[in-house]
Amino acid sequence: MEQVKITIALIVAVLLQWTLRNVFEPFAFIDFPLIIVVYAALQGSSIRALFYGTLAGIAVDALSGGLLGANGFSKTLIAFIVSEIVRRVYVDNLLLRIPVIAGACLLDDLVYYGMHRLMGQEPTGEFVTTLAYTLIATTIAGTIIYLLLDSFFAENVRKGKREVFTQRRQTRRRNPIRLGSRR
Amino acid sequence: MLLLLLGNFALMAFDAREANSQQRVIRVWTQTSADFVQSPVTFVSSAVTNYFSSISSMRTAQSENDALKQRIQELEVEVQNNKSSTFENERLKSLLQLKEEIPYKFLPAQIIGRDTSAWFDTSIINRGSLDGVKLNMPIVTNGGLVGRVTAVSPLTAQISLITKDKSGLGAVIGALGASNALGVVSGSGKKEILEMGYVPGSIEVKVGESVYTTGQDGIYPAGLKLGEVAEVRVGSASEALKIFIQPSAKLSSMQEVAVLLYEPPPRPEFDKSLPNAAKKK
Repeated sequence: MEQVKITIALIVAVLLQWTLRNVFEPFAFIDFPLIIVVYAALQGSSIRALFYGTLAGIAVDALSGGLLGANGFSKTLIAFIVSEIVRRVYVDNLLLRIPVIAGACLLDDLVYYGMHRLMGQEPTGEFVTTLAYTLIATTIAGTIIYLLLDSFFAENVRKGKREVFTQRRQTRRRNPIRLGSRR
Repeated sequence: MLLLLLGNFALMAFDAREANSQQRVIRVWTQTSADFVQSPVTFVSSAVTNYFSSISSMRTAQSENDALKQRIQELEVEVQNNKSSTFENERLKSLLQLKEEIPYKFLPAQIIGRDTSAWFDTSIINRGSLDGVKLNMPIVTNGGLVGRVTAVSPLTAQISLITKDKSGLGAVIGALGASNALGVVSGSGKKEILEMGYVPGSIEVKVGESVYTTGQDGIYPAGLKLGEVAEVRVGSASEALKIFIQPSAKLSSMQEVAVLLYEPPPRPEFDKSLPNAAKKK
């Protein structure tokens, strides 16, 4: 069920990425598919996150003037890195997720830009400006979307927390009175 | 005694009439005293009646209000439709004007999407290879050249704007054939500004002069208007001028464009044989 919900969220994110720029230019700086890919990676399933990253990236590349596969590459890499971080570090908290999405966005843009330069292409957007705007817009939008998704996936979040923190073994306390009485 | 006095007084009052109006005084007094009761009662009763009548009228007003709101919405939609029809009419008129200006066949198209990446600024139009659109075909508006087709699918095509295109196109300042100010125009990376290079420093270029394509690039036909000179940076006489051009097409707000069904004439093949080798006949 969780897979279906994330898949639907990813489809909606790609559709928003396709359409919103036509409505209002600054929406171009929000990377909706990246937000969902990072969210999927934060759930802990790295294989699924990798697939989501690749599919979302290629879908975005299909309607972009950039290289086909550049977004797919960067988002797959991000999905892998974030899922590896999640395996090692506890980030099941909104405040901890903010630096994760910001870092993911920064790295995604750097990899995307770097891949284009490596292939001899030059993106038309100004490097520093586009990077800064994308970082700010995606981090803000990501934080809001995570709040919404957390309320939507509330059951899974609680389940996830239970899995992350296994129940502490409760040691039986010795009764001091009984200890005293043994004497 | 008191009763008697009161009885007599009542009789007198009953009998007495006012001198002017000839009304019985008792009636006048009764009316006056009744006023002290009637007025507050009327006030309260009218208030209560008004309250209930307003409630009953509120019901009708509510339905009337709903009907009026619906009517307003309908009218707003109608006004909006009229406005968009007017805009569309103007755009189509401008395309008709374009048909008169440009001798080539063209295909009207609508911009249906923008680039999904913030790093690029391409647009998607609703015409594809099924409509006869081919790679590198020029895109124009009534203002002038907009860009070229960079990818084609059966139903849609991707266009790249001249302001973002790094590959240069041949251009001339002033009328083609009458001016020597030939150069190469490419995107400056900035919105709505083109850069022109390779114009010799010895040539005088004025701000406001029109820039046209020369057709030497093998993509765009000659004579398409690019824009007007916005700034000229002059170096030494041996150094090429750096010219900034304001595109004449409104690139940021365009909705309707036209694909110029222009294919450049095939270039003659270069003679690759060695100078001393026998020529094939």
